[in-house]
Amino acid sequence: MIINHPLLGPRDSEEFVYLGSTDLINRPTNWEEEASAEDFYQYQYIRENIAGDHQELWYHEQGDQSWLVVTRNTLTHEITNVELAQDVSRAMGRGK
Amino acid sequence: MTDYELLAESPLGGIEIELDGFNITEVTDKSLVMVALPRDKFKDVESSIDKSCGLKLPEMENSIKSKDSSITLWRLQKNQVLAFFTYEGNDAESHLSGRLSAPAYYTDQSDTWAMIRVSGERSRDVLERICPIDLSPEVFSVGNVSRTVMEHIGTIIYRDADDSYVLLTMRSFGRSMLHAIEVSADNVL
Repeated sequence: MIINHPLLGPRDSEEFVYLGSTDLINRPTNWEEEASAEDFYQYQYIRENIAGDHQELWYHEQGDQSWLVVTRNTLTHEITNVELAQDVSRAMGRGK
Repeated sequence: MTDYELLAESPLGGIEIELDGFNITEVTDKSLVMVALPRDKFKDVESSIDKSCGLKLPEMENSIKSKDSSITLWRLQKNQVLAFFTYEGNDAESHLSGRLSAPAYYTDQSDTWAMIRVSGERSRDVLERICPIDLSPEVFSVGNVSRTVMEHIGTIIYRDADDSYVLLTMRSFGRSMLHAIEVSADNVL
């Protein structure tokens, strides 16, 4: 499988490590509140099992050590979009 | 005072192997220093290295040479460059920071890497069996540098001339990498 790295171009998936759904970016920020236990339970354990386009986090461990958001079709393994996780996360209003 | 002194040894003992159209040589006269770029000082770093050595920050997976060709900067990550330069002393870090005089963070990595140069007209034929990236001359041109996997281990590859590539792998893996290159050469040549 080839991943089209936004900075480096097409690279073999052997160089990457898979983490999971992009939902992991949305770590709850209300950890001081009582209700946070439920939110953290949802964040940590509840996963969608999508048959179709899935946004997921990949780490370029054997390359430039960047985190990527890869949109992959779980039925066909076709990769339709690759972005830097840093950009995605900032667009969500997270991080600096 | 002790009556003996310790001598520094290169990871592969300065090995040199000559085959038909293919040579393997350990690179022993170079140092490697990581230069981490503070996020808000890219411009300052750029103007400082331009003033001190006539250098610019290279594009990703590219390199750039100083005016006197003694320092090469590699860009393998957005927020850092690696300086590959001719120097054999034990204080590569202060030597380089003195020469660049740029506001960045310097870390000497020279002794953590085994540096192997493979050269000769058959070098691409030998490398294509162990290197997953495309090394066609028009795709991976002179000056290109990349970090990838060879023999399952992270390896940096730098093309420093038409038929010459420098491979950097972790020091403890140096002999195994050398073996992998020799096996590949044996299969191809």
